[in-house]
Amino acid sequence: MSFAQSLLENVLRVAEEKGAKKVKRVVVEIGTLLMLNPEQLTFCYEVVSKGTIAENSELNIVEIKPKIRCSVCGKEFDAPFAICDCGGVVTVEGGKDAVIRKIEMEV
Amino acid sequence: MHKIEADVQLSLLEENRKYAGENREFLREHGVVAFNLMGATGSGKTMLIEKTADLVSDKLKIGAILGDVAGDDDFKRVTKHGVKAKMVNTGKECHLDAHFIHHAVEEFADVDVLFMENVGNLVCPVDFDLGEDYRVVVVSVTEGDDVIRKHPEIFRLADAILINKISLADAVGCDVDIMLRDARRLNAKAPVIKMDLKNDIGVENWLEWFFDAVERAKKYKSV
Repeated sequence: MSFAQSLLENVLRVAEEKGAKKVKRVVVEIGTLLMLNPEQLTFCYEVVSKGTIAENSELNIVEIKPKIRCSVCGKEFDAPFAICDCGGVVTVEGGKDAVIRKIEMEV
Repeated sequence: MHKIEADVQLSLLEENRKYAGENREFLREHGVVAFNLMGATGSGKTMLIEKTADLVSDKLKIGAILGDVAGDDDFKRVTKHGVKAKMVNTGKECHLDAHFIHHAVEEFADVDVLFMENVGNLVCPVDFDLGEDYRVVVVSVTEGDDVIRKHPEIFRLADAILINKISLADAVGCDVDIMLRDARRLNAKAPVIKMDLKNDIGVENWLEWFFDAVERAKKYKSV
């Protein structure tokens, strides 16, 4: 719910800056390591945006996967893992942010 | 009316990062070493503060910000152990965030160590940096031996993992070795310490890591 609230606040701030009367569509990138359920985020966004100019706006969620790779042999993994079979340390890059990329509005 | 598109790059976590940075700077200026204490309700977070305070109070002044949905039970507990404490009730929010504790942190300029006891769960607190130096996760055997792999992120990002209530493992059918293995698979650097806080088992291993962690952090703080 706190992500949905923050999402709405940011969307409304931009909409106000642009003098928008209605928000139509929002594109947000969500890192998969945040483990946010897209359906839940969509539902929470619908709830918090009720009664605002973002009510009924479409929310497009783009999932961003982290790069999980052994620092020694370069083997890639789907999920975080500490040590590779080769003994190398596995590094995890990205997948932990939530970023609004596009807001469509009517002015 | 016409349509416009705004291409933006607005992180939903930016606000929290900003306040976490301010909290971290305040704590650095005052030489306070901060531990974000996370774990499920009943895992032993508050008892860890109590036991630590009892054992280090001759050397270090301990403070604690206690996050709970409601009530002041933890506040009453830790203050009996000489801890300077502040209760923060989060209501519906399931985690502490850097903004929420911003003013509370400023009340702890006079302590050596500040425990930030998070709201009891293994999910929500993980994405909210509070400005701490270390993340400590307390998990108990009564949560089941599959609990670590069910919550990979909080254990992956921990600086220390404490497995508590090990004396109860057989009674609740928990294989502690599975917990140790899962913790190691996710996190190669954090010490994994087996404990039974109530019976003072493993406390010396915790204190060894704790004192070392305080010393290391103090080196880059001004006091």
